[in-house]
Amino acid sequence: MTMSMFRWSVLSLAGFVLCSITGCTRWIDVKPADTAPKEATTHSLPNDERVPFVTNSFHLSRNGSSQYPSADLERRILSSLQETSLFSTLTPLGEKSDSLGDKHVSARITVEETIEPHSWLSAFKGFVIGGSMFLLSPFIDLEYGYAATVALELERWDGHVTRYEGRSSGTVYYKLFGATPVMIDELKGHVTEACLTDLTQQLVRDTNLYMASSAPLLDTGIRTVTVKAKRPAIAHSTRALVPVTTP
Amino acid sequence: MASLVRRFTALVFGAMMTASFAYAEDVSPTITVGTQEVGLTAGYMLSHRLTYLHKTQQHGPALMPSWMITLTDPVGDGWYRGQVSLGAEMVYLEFREPLLTHGIGFTPRIKYTFVALGRLRPYAEFTGGPFWTDLGGRVREQANEFNFILSGGVGVSWFITPQAAINVGYRFHHISNAGTAFPNLGLNASLPFAGFSFFF
Repeated sequence: MTMSMFRWSVLSLAGFVLCSITGCTRWIDVKPADTAPKEATTHSLPNDERVPFVTNSFHLSRNGSSQYPSADLERRILSSLQETSLFSTLTPLGEKSDSLGDKHVSARITVEETIEPHSWLSAFKGFVIGGSMFLLSPFIDLEYGYAATVALELERWDGHVTRYEGRSSGTVYYKLFGATPVMIDELKGHVTEACLTDLTQQLVRDTNLYMASSAPLLDTGIRTVTVKAKRPAIAHSTRALVPVTTP
Repeated sequence: MASLVRRFTALVFGAMMTASFAYAEDVSPTITVGTQEVGLTAGYMLSHRLTYLHKTQQHGPALMPSWMITLTDPVGDGWYRGQVSLGAEMVYLEFREPLLTHGIGFTPRIKYTFVALGRLRPYAEFTGGPFWTDLGGRVREQANEFNFILSGGVGVSWFITPQAAINVGYRFHHISNAGTAFPNLGLNASLPFAGFSFFF
């Protein structure tokens, strides 16, 4: 009798500990931007070949609606670009640099976020978990999805425009007792990092495009006169002839 | 128990007074998936005799510490936009009439909070779970001590800081044994309550 009680107590304790541990777990599944393997690309760039990078615009949208972009996000994107060592200086939006020189690259940054919180499913699962007096909590996963596309449109000093795009998505799976607001930040952090890695890899492959010696400087004086003289429709068609590359 | 209620009331009003002065500006709480809430609620139970067979006029104070976790981001558009949270609550009831007896229970709790009004957040909630009381077997409505308690109610949270809220509301309580013994007429009561919650 005593032995049997002891055995059941140990089994119950083990079950309780197992349920407590599994009931607090969470993990993040980030999908790679592209399934094709990417070879590591390195370029050496002399210092005098590097040009400044200037942010001209920065747009953020979430589930299709426009949002006010955070300075942190911009800083993070610029920091990733800084790590490539492609540019001599990076100027955030709204800041002016006196030492830009004639040759610089202008950037338009667009970030599109898609959040899929699976709210109704979570509410239903929560109802089931509550109805089971939390006994089912170690066996039911809740999930929260997030996808992001970071697009970078770079305009070289001679008007050459190239568009780069990094995409990634991920889902955090969690048990009820493992839920915390931090996991959403972690998911967004991982997805954004994957996007930026993809983006900078594309950028590094085009290193030659942004070397100071890659294109001559346009005569800006003549260009200004031309813009003023031409009608908007003609100016638009001239711009459309600019080659745009979408990776 | 009366001393406990007095201390609780002093704590609630103290928190209200200090926090209101400290955060005179508009405070809009940011509650996301995974935000947890711990709270303490106290109220007074007033009986309802719903049929002529009900004779017991049970009443007394109630104390309900709770924990909840937010399951969803705000869903829906318009006035009904809100969030679902799930949690658990301990419920302690002191029956002062007809006999001085006690009851304690553990109930899962599900809550839908309307978020359209900023720092003022109405909610609807439902709880249900096992409940033990030594009043059972001593009154004609309930035969045994092991029962279940079900409650549904509405309330409103007023956020005094982005992390703290004062709650007031009303619940309807039903205690019965789900037919495990007879008689099982059930004990019903209204429970107006007040309390506070912290979010983290």
